Amino acid sequence: MEGFLPLQWCIVWWVIALPCLLLGIYQLKKVVDLDREALPLLGVTGGFIFILSSLKLPSVTGSCSHPTGTGLSTISFGPWITAVVCTIVLLFQSLFLAHGGISVLGANIVSMGIVGPLVGYWVYRLLRDTPVNIYITVFLVSALADIFTYVTTSFELALAYPAETGGVVSSFILFLGIFALTQVPIAIVEGIILALVFKYIVTLKPDILIRLKIFSEKQINAARADN
Amino acid sequence: MAFRYILEILAIIAIGTFCALFLYMSASLNGAEFAGTDSAGSRLIANLSGTPLENFQPFIPQWKPPSREIESSLFALQAAIGGILVGGIFGYWIGQKKKA
Repeated sequence: MEGFLPLQWCIVWWVIALPCLLLGIYQLKKVVDLDREALPLLGVTGGFIFILSSLKLPSVTGSCSHPTGTGLSTISFGPWITAVVCTIVLLFQSLFLAHGGISVLGANIVSMGIVGPLVGYWVYRLLRDTPVNIYITVFLVSALADIFTYVTTSFELALAYPAETGGVVSSFILFLGIFALTQVPIAIVEGIILALVFKYIVTLKPDILIRLKIFSEKQINAARADN
Repeated sequence: MAFRYILEILAIIAIGTFCALFLYMSASLNGAEFAGTDSAGSRLIANLSGTPLENFQPFIPQWKPPSREIESSLFALQAAIGGILVGGIFGYWIGQKKKA
């Protein structure tokens, strides 16, 4: 939505996004140097961000919205590397699709690449060392990362356009009604699909998940025994 | 056996429900145009700021796909890039597993 966010806010979000991106690029280099086998995993998790964020899905509110697909990448590589992958996707959409734009790219990176994945990552850290089934963890992380992307978008817009009565809070609720509500069913479907994809990764390449310490060997073996 | 495919079954149910909901909504909601949330969002912005929608111009000039068809083909290209990555790497992993 190039042009809709006032210039000063564009700059604020860019300033927040840039250090996170630099951290992400640094981490990415470290992970890949450490283990070349991490690269295919990055490809698969990033590939799903490409696929899912290109789909505009109709939702119950009578409008369309995108899933984000950031859950798998968040679990595998954390929020900062996810932010780098999201930036590539968002840049593609800004340059070729007039979807988003260069000035609002910072705000979009913060919502899709940083806050959403960050919330997802907290959920993952919280659930990782509990007996919760790993697929339920993947589901929750993906769905919440998706919803919180749009909660953040609403918040960014509410900050820039506070309502005359009620200020930021009441326009936040209005924007939530548009963006987050539409997103709920999409997020649930996305969560289930990414959990399914994670099952295939567990089946095909369990060793990389254990080596990157994404889940413990015990959890992976338990999940494989169920398959 | 049934437990083994529980995620697949859930995925099919979820997608099925999603499609059914869409069909139900598009049949029962007359005003539903299924435009992007972005357009609903822009309308709200215009409302809140009291500025007409046309006054919002990009700060940085932007190339716009000349038509909806070209736009959707570019979206399809994006999905295809993702699909190639995912399919190729899953195939690579299957090959690795067979060799081992």
